[in-house]
Amino acid sequence: MVKSEPQPSRGVFAARVRSNRRLCDEHYLLRLEVGTDFPLTQAGQFVQVQCAPVNGAEGPIVHEWGEKGPPPQFQSPELVESQVLLRRPFSLAGREEIGGRTVLDIIHRVVGRGSARLAALAEGQTVSLLGPLGNAFTWDADTKLAVLVGGGVGLPPMLYLAERLHQAGKPALAYAGVTSANLLPLSLDAAVPASKAGWPSLCVREFARWGVQTTISTDDGSLGYTGRISQALFDWIDQGRIVAAGTIVYTCGPERMMRAVAEGCLARGFACQVAMERKMACGMGACQSCVCKTRAQNPLGWQYSLVCTDGTVFDARQILWE
Amino acid sequence: MIDLSVDLAGVKLANPLMTASGTCGYAQEYGSYVDLRQLGAFITKSITVRPRLGNPPGRVVETRAGMLNAIGLANVGLEAFLKEKVPLLEDLALPVFVNVAGTTIEDYLAVIEALAEVKVVRGVELNVSCPNVKEGGITFGVDPVQIEHITRRAKERCGKNILIVKLSPNVADIAITARAAIAAGADALSLVNTFTAMAIDVETARPLLANNTGGLSGPAIHPIAVYMVHRVYTQAARAAKVPIIAMGGIQHWRDAVEFLLAGATGLAIGTALFVDPACLLAIRDGIADYLRRQGHESLDPIIGSLTLNTAS
Ligand SMILES: Cc1cc2nc3c(=O)[nH]c(=O)nc-3n(C[C@H](O)[C@H](O)[C@H](O)COP(=O)(O)OP(=O)(O)OC[C@H]3O[C@@H](n4cnc5c(N)ncnc54)[C@H](O)[C@@H]3O)c2cc1C
Ligand SMILES: Cc1cc2nc3c(=O)[nH]c(=O)nc-3n(C[C@H](O)[C@H](O)[C@H](O)COP(=O)(O)O)c2cc1C
Ligand code: FES
Repeated sequence: MVKSEPQPSRGVFAARVRSNRRLCDEHYLLRLEVGTDFPLTQAGQFVQVQCAPVNGAEGPIVHEWGEKGPPPQFQSPELVESQVLLRRPFSLAGREEIGGRTVLDIIHRVVGRGSARLAALAEGQTVSLLGPLGNAFTWDADTKLAVLVGGGVGLPPMLYLAERLHQAGKPALAYAGVTSANLLPLSLDAAVPASKAGWPSLCVREFARWGVQTTISTDDGSLGYTGRISQALFDWIDQGRIVAAGTIVYTCGPERMMRAVAEGCLARGFACQVAMERKMACGMGACQSCVCKTRAQNPLGWQYSLVCTDGTVFDARQILWE
Repeated sequence: MIDLSVDLAGVKLANPLMTASGTCGYAQEYGSYVDLRQLGAFITKSITVRPRLGNPPGRVVETRAGMLNAIGLANVGLEAFLKEKVPLLEDLALPVFVNVAGTTIEDYLAVIEALAEVKVVRGVELNVSCPNVKEGGITFGVDPVQIEHITRRAKERCGKNILIVKLSPNVADIAITARAAIAAGADALSLVNTFTAMAIDVETARPLLANNTGGLSGPAIHPIAVYMVHRVYTQAARAAKVPIIAMGGIQHWRDAVEFLLAGATGLAIGTALFVDPACLLAIRDGIADYLRRQGHESLDPIIGSLTLNTAS
C-alpha cells in the first residue's frame, strides 16, 4: 500500500487501549496510547475516534441502560446492534507522557451505538484516531482568573484546560454541573465535601490536582448545589466574589447550559468562550455538516461557521443561539 | 507493470479514482491525510452562481450502514471559488471536475461558462440530482425532457470542458434519464447521487434532520448503485460509448471492482473518506492487485466484463 505522508500537524493514528474504566453510571475513562510523535494538542481540541477495534476480537457490547430500562431481550443482538460507520468526535480530557508513550484521555458517556462500542474496548485493543482537530481555548497575558464551566459530557475538555492553565501559571475555578450525582464522571475527595451553598472547594480530585477549586451542582440536589450550574456561578459572581476584569469564563456542555452561561457572562461584562458541539461527519472542514450560526458583517448579519474547523471554541459574542 | 490509467471522454486519468462531490470540499481540507495528487481526478463540492448558506443543522445523521445528509448545497459561490479555491486546485496538478448546481437554467449556464475559461478545470459535473434543495436540482433530474434540455444548453457553453451529467437514483428507471442525457450530448455520466430518505427520532416523533429529508449514502446504497450502473451501461452507455463514473458506498477495492465489472470507467468515493481519507489509495492499490491476480495489465479487459447468469 502506498502510504500518504501526513503533515505533522494532524493525521490518522492507531492507538492502543491502555485502560478503559467505568467512572460512574454511563461514563468511561478511555486511556489511549499513541507514539510520542502524536502532534501537539491543546485544550479544547478533539479527535475523531473509530468506534470499533481495528483488529482483534470485538468484545461483547456492554450497555447499561440505567433508568431507561433494559434493552429489549426478545431480539437477537445482531438485529439490534449494527456496525458503526462514521467516526465519533470526542474531546481530549488530558494528555500525559508515560514510559516513552503519549497517553490521551477520553471521557465518554454511553448514549448510542458508537459510545457503547467504545465502552466495550479492552486493554490492548487498537482503535483508530483522526486528529487532533479543532481550535483551542485561549487566554492572554492579562488573564488573571479562568472559570471553567462544564456540564455533563462537557466536563472532559475542562480537565485538560485545568492542566494547561496550571502549566501557564493561571489560577482557575471549576464549575461542574450534572443532572444527578451518579452521572458525575469525576472523583470526589471524601475529606472535602462539595458545598451545598455552591462554595468552591478542592472537592474534585481531578481539578484539585491542578490546584483548582470546584463547585458541583446537580439538578436533583443529590450532590453539591441544587440547581443549574450557571446559577451557581452567577450566585458567586453576584456576591462580588469574582470580578469581570481579568477573568475569562470557558464553557462546554449542553447548548442550553452554554447559552445560559454565555448570556449571563456577557450581561455581566465577563469575557466568555464556548466550545460548541454539532453532529459531525468528517471533522475536518470538508462536508459542511457541523454548522452553527455566528455573527457576520454581511447583509444578513450572520453566517454559518463550521464547528469542526472554525471552532469548536468561539468567543461567546460571536454565537447566535437558536 | 499494471496500468490503471483510463480515458474519460478524452481526459486522461492516471487511475479511475476520484473524490465524490461534496465529500472532499475543495481539496485542501484533506491535505494532511492523503496525497490527493495520486488520484485520477478531483471532483469539487457543488458550486452555485451565488454563495449558499445551506440548510440549518442537524445536517447529518448516521443510519444503519449509511448516513443521511441535508447540507443544502452550502458553498462559497462562483466568484469566491474562482478567486480562492481554483489556485489551491491548481496545486493538485490533477484534472479537476467541478460539480455545478443551480435553481434555474441560467444559474447553471453562468457557472459553466465561467469554468470554460479555467485551465485546471477539465470537466463540469452537472448536478441535476441534489435531493436537498427544494427549488431545484432534483426537479431537473427526474424528468427526461428537462434533463435533455439542460444538458443540451450546458453542452453549448462547456467550451473545452467535458460535460458529465450526474444522475439521480430517485427515478423509476435510470436508463431513461441516462438516455436523455446522452441524446443531448453528455460526454460522461456520474451515478449515483444520494437516495432521498428520512430517519425519525422515536422519542420526539420528529425527523432527525432539520430538513426532514436527506440523501442516503454509504455502503447501504452500494448494491443498488451497482445495479444502476449495470443497467445504464447495458441499456444506454455502452452502445453510445459514453463512460460512467460510478459511486455509492465504495469502501473497499472489491466494491470498486464490482462497479468496473458492471461497466464503470471512473470511480468516486464519498462517505468512506470521512472514515479514512487514505482509503482512496488503498482502494487504488487493491484494484491493481486484483488485476495482477487476474492476469491483466490494464483495466480495459475488465470494464463491463460482467457475465450474467443464464436463467435456468
Ligand atoms: C467536538 C465534540 C466533542 C465531543 N466530546 C465528547 C466527550 O468528550 N465526551 C462525550 O461523551 N461525548 C462527546 N461528544 C459527543 C459525542 O460525539 C456523541 O455522544 C457521540 O458521537 C455519540 O455517538 P453514538 O454512536 O454513541 O450515539 P448515536 O447512536 O450516534 O446517537 C445517540 C445520541 O447521541 C447524540 N449524538 C450523536 N452524535 C453526536 C455528536 N457528534 N454531538 C452531539 N451529540 C451527538 C444523538 O443526537 C443521540 O441522541 C462530543 C461531540 C463533539 C461534536
Ligand atoms: C455530506 C455529503 C455531501 C454531498 N454533497 C454533494 C454535492 O454538493 N453535490 C453532489 O452532486 N453530490 C453530493 N453528495 C453525493 C456524493 O457525491 C455521492 O454521489 C454519494 O454520496 C454516493 O457516494 P458514497 O456512498 O461513496 O458517499 C454528497 C454526499 C455527502 C455524503
Ligand atoms: S464535520 Fe465535516 S465540515 Fe465539520
